[in-house]
Amino acid sequence: MSASQSSSFARRAAWAFVALVLAVAAVLPPFYLSGYWVRVITSLLMYGALASAINIMVGFAGYPALGNIAFFGVGAYTVAVLMVKYNVDFFVALLAAGVLAGLYAALLGRAVLRLRGAYFGIATIGINHATSEIVTNLDSLTGGGRGTIVPFYPGGIQEERMFFYFLMLGLMLLAVGTTWLISRSRLGYGLRALKADQEGASVMGVNTTRFKVIAWTVSAGLTGLVGGAYAYWLSFLEPPYVFDITMGVKTYIMAILGGAGTVVGPVLGAFTLELLSELIWGRFLEAHMLVLGIVVVLVVLFIPQGFMSLFAQLAATLKRRRTGEVRADG
Amino acid sequence: MTQIVVNGLLTGGVYALVAVGFSLVWGVMNVVNIAHASYIMLGAYISYWLFHLYGWDPFLSIPVSMAALFVLGYLVASVVLNRVIRYGLVMTLVLTFGVDLILQNAALILWSADYRSITPSYAGASLAVGGVMIPYVRFAVFLLALVLVVLFSLFLSKTRTGNAIQATALNPFAAQLTGVRIDRIYALTYAIGAALAAAAGSMISVIYTIQPQVGNVFLTRAFVITVLGGLGSIPGALLGGVLLGLAESFATVTVGIGWSQAVSFGLLVLILVVRPQGLLGRRFFGGVG
Repeated sequence: MSASQSSSFARRAAWAFVALVLAVAAVLPPFYLSGYWVRVITSLLMYGALASAINIMVGFAGYPALGNIAFFGVGAYTVAVLMVKYNVDFFVALLAAGVLAGLYAALLGRAVLRLRGAYFGIATIGINHATSEIVTNLDSLTGGGRGTIVPFYPGGIQEERMFFYFLMLGLMLLAVGTTWLISRSRLGYGLRALKADQEGASVMGVNTTRFKVIAWTVSAGLTGLVGGAYAYWLSFLEPPYVFDITMGVKTYIMAILGGAGTVVGPVLGAFTLELLSELIWGRFLEAHMLVLGIVVVLVVLFIPQGFMSLFAQLAATLKRRRTGEVRADG
Repeated sequence: MTQIVVNGLLTGGVYALVAVGFSLVWGVMNVVNIAHASYIMLGAYISYWLFHLYGWDPFLSIPVSMAALFVLGYLVASVVLNRVIRYGLVMTLVLTFGVDLILQNAALILWSADYRSITPSYAGASLAVGGVMIPYVRFAVFLLALVLVVLFSLFLSKTRTGNAIQATALNPFAAQLTGVRIDRIYALTYAIGAALAAAAGSMISVIYTIQPQVGNVFLTRAFVITVLGGLGSIPGALLGGVLLGLAESFATVTVGIGWSQAVSFGLLVLILVVRPQGLLGRRFFGGVG
């Protein structure tokens, strides 16, 4: 009894230590690294948030929301329009971006979530195209194809770096935290059930439509928040920048690479792919997409279940070895 | 008014050809082939270079581009795609997206992002029928696209190989039991899809200006048409192509050219919600709920 208590205490201490190290590692970079690396890490954090957000749909509910980047664009343009046309404070605009993107998904979800598999995926790609075109055509409000300039961050360059670093860090933690909460809640279990077997889940009393709509709303709201932050960070917006389907598919691949349906997998996938992407970008400017394409093909061929499955396999092997030893002792 | 209809019909023919290969691969293999965009683009560039370097008429280079892309398609399917097909539709979609990135970027490095066009001597000529202008080139392309679609449909229904493809589409497991080597059928189907994309690309190079991303906009149309007409259905692709051509043609005149994509995707979402199996489709693959 006391042995198991002390082991659970040791485990807790170990976790607390890991958490402390991570926290320090997360806070330090903007104070010590060069502007270039702070920018790179800020974009890693952004992709971590986006991959976590799409994971709620892809990993938990099993819906390939390839065009989820539409909500990123909606969030970005919400912030831009509110700040430029109505002089709204950034944080208020950001909140509005999240709410609006979520509402947009909730509205569309009623119709589109009746589709399954690739049909749903393609419908979301269609939503992204159509939304982009609507934004482009609402010329007087959004600046249309000419783009729009979002007010600059008021403050020095160092301050600005810090601001966006911690903003993206906060959004990523929010996304991961939300995922963690979902994974332990009724919603999470319901989503996993409907991913495995929609009819079965519905027979077991899961309100599948409601669960799917909630999941998409949460996923879209988070994506919209990140889009809003991105608009302020980038300070110049054009529809193709924020309704970029390549970016959307990239976040999707990040979630798969890390491990769809896990809590931290998507962040790992995002960090790996984006860091790789950034290193490649510096070295082979011309062939950036080519190398990214090769990475994508290799991931699909060799680790289709994602990094987290590798860890799980490793842990299982270790455990087997340990229990094997115990048996040898006895 | 008649002019709008004629324009819509003529464009619809090319759209149908673009969509047939895409729809076939999706219907038979359950693969949403994003790389279709690159195959269209490569077909267009093959015709472009044969015209500029050797003076080949673009209509004569269609068999060349089809053959080249057939080989490429066969390789892609047998070397990579067949290995991951068991992981399901989403994984193969991501894979073909990767292949598409590779090919588009390669084209960008090799041939730059310049807009290029083929201008044979007969490019601007058109036929006037009772006040309606019918450009010769577009008419020829329309007819040729129809001929290819019909030939392909005959191939599927009249030959043993074609029947094997259809059998695989209906039930891969049962097809295997009757002695069909489905990995070969998959590779062949994918290769035919690529060849049809190449033919469409060659024709597109005569009508539109081309650049490495030329295939993307046609890929989105192929999506719409496939869903509109029904997965894997050839008459469906024809009907869908013509309907989309007409819809875009009317949208251009009524609400302006900037809205044509929104119109086609509005149509897509509408069809998906109202009749998910498409106008002429049966419930095939893809699990529409």
